[in-house]
Amino acid sequence: MNIKFSNLHPIYFSEDRSVHSNIWGQEVTIQPGEKIQIVAPSGSGKTSLIHFMYGLRREYNGSIVYNGKDVKQLSPDQIAQYRQENLSIMFQDLRLFPDQTVFQNIEVKRQLKPFHPPEEISSFAERLGVSHKLNMLCCTCSYGEQQRVAIVRCLMQPFDFLLLDEPFSNLDENNRKKAMELILEEAKLRNAGILLADLKEIEFFPADKVFHL
Amino acid sequence: MSLRFKHIAPYLFASSSNWSKTLSYIGLGFGILLLLCSLQLYFNIQQLLGKENPRKSGFDYISITKNVTNETMGQVEKNLFGETEIQEIAKQPYIDGVSPLIANRFQVELTAGNIIPFSTSLFMESVDNDFLDTLPPNFSWVEGQQFLPLIVSSDFLQMYNVFAPGYGLPQVSESTASSIRIFIVCTGINGKQQTFRGSIVAFSDRINSIVVPKNFLVWGNRTFANSEEVKAARVYVKLKDANNPEFLRFLDQHQYRINKDKIQFGRAKGVLQLVITGLGVFGLLVVLLALMLFSFYLQLIIARSRDNLKLLITLGYAPSWLTKTVAGRWTPAYITIVLIALFLTAILQWGFYSLTSSLNTKVNPFIHWSVILLAILLMILTALSNYKLVKKQVYSL
Repeated sequence: MNIKFSNLHPIYFSEDRSVHSNIWGQEVTIQPGEKIQIVAPSGSGKTSLIHFMYGLRREYNGSIVYNGKDVKQLSPDQIAQYRQENLSIMFQDLRLFPDQTVFQNIEVKRQLKPFHPPEEISSFAERLGVSHKLNMLCCTCSYGEQQRVAIVRCLMQPFDFLLLDEPFSNLDENNRKKAMELILEEAKLRNAGILLADLKEIEFFPADKVFHL
Repeated sequence: MSLRFKHIAPYLFASSSNWSKTLSYIGLGFGILLLLCSLQLYFNIQQLLGKENPRKSGFDYISITKNVTNETMGQVEKNLFGETEIQEIAKQPYIDGVSPLIANRFQVELTAGNIIPFSTSLFMESVDNDFLDTLPPNFSWVEGQQFLPLIVSSDFLQMYNVFAPGYGLPQVSESTASSIRIFIVCTGINGKQQTFRGSIVAFSDRINSIVVPKNFLVWGNRTFANSEEVKAARVYVKLKDANNPEFLRFLDQHQYRINKDKIQFGRAKGVLQLVITGLGVFGLLVVLLALMLFSFYLQLIIARSRDNLKLLITLGYAPSWLTKTVAGRWTPAYITIVLIALFLTAILQWGFYSLTSSLNTKVNPFIHWSVILLAILLMILTALSNYKLVKKQVYSL
């Protein structure tokens, strides 16, 4: 699977935002297995770009095309199909179920299209230091713990591209590296590409390309 | 692993109350029971009141006469059916056939020869063969034929056997009566007289008269009474249902008389059908109200679970799967409710059968297949209406 942006531009951005951007208003194709880092300050549209790519929002001009299919033309069920098999995401705002346990939050994604057996939930949680929280309600976890839960959740399904929106913003250096290591392992296992958006370049992310918005 | 409702159940029912669900279940069950019972009662009424007359090929045959009142007494023409009136009766959509019972307009005397010293003045009538319940092959007459076949009401033979001993006459069986050779003497107002040899060729349970072949009576009236006119005191009608309310209204409007015994069920049937229709409409309303209440309950659940459902879709759960799974959650409940209502209808029907069996009626102890069909349709309607509602809600997230 490849993803192509054609003259993509959020409708709420002025045209001059395209002048210095590598993405807005450009023709860009992300090839399978590529690791892309998007670097941009707050308010430049990182989250918008990731939401557009995931088919969550449509407030843009131009097009985003998955394997020749315009995202705006896909039905809700077709988008769901892509989300189950081709695209995984970690949201900046995490989007967890606060009233469910950590385990349930991860399992609800895994059971949809299992890539790993359920035992891997404990194994991944262990690696990221949240295994002691598995049976606790998500709302009782710190934001940093919740961020790690969201990372484990997005690694439970098959994907061709992993979209990460400021994934380590609340993690310490040690946990960042552990999380990055796990993410890279899992992407390699699937021959998948990664698109990581953050405020600044992450030195331990081996990006093939760096785009500025 | 295939996903089922239990996998998403924890994300749906947070803090939802159950009272409206229970109430809608009860309402739905009650409404469906009312509807099913109404339909079953309709069939019971049809069975109870629809088979009161002797039927031939599924038709009722009824004889109509005019009401002889003090005003019309002595005015023969007013008490007879003319061609126009017969045609008007035939025109009615619920009437499948009309035949006037033509009577003799000359004197007829019957003697039984020397075997039974019996002689009586007689009347004769004729009707289209199609209206006869028994039609032996020898029931025909051609001009010049000496033998005249007669079909006699079986009631007449019974009446004869009742009074015969009192007059010192022998009682006779049907077969004996059929073998007796009788003589029919026809005398006209013009002085003409002719004697025919005859015998009873059949007994009729339907026609309360002495019937001769139609062409004989047409010939007789012409020969002995110089009359060609078709004037009948009685008209036989053939119709699908003698208890048809429209037919009864038509009779009332024209002040025609028929055997009250044959239509008294019709009047009761009309009232009963009205009551049952009312019951059915009430049942339908209750079902609709219950469905509405249930739809509110569903909307409440979806509204309360809105954020969770939205997140499930964001994570990749297909809206079509969510719709099918959430709506399908209640399918077993609908099936159970309808089956309970159907079961209760069957029990009530059995009770109805037990109650009416002592009255020598022919009510079926089992429910009619249409009731089962209605139950299936209601099940589909309930499931479909809720599926559409859930679909609308889920796709609007």
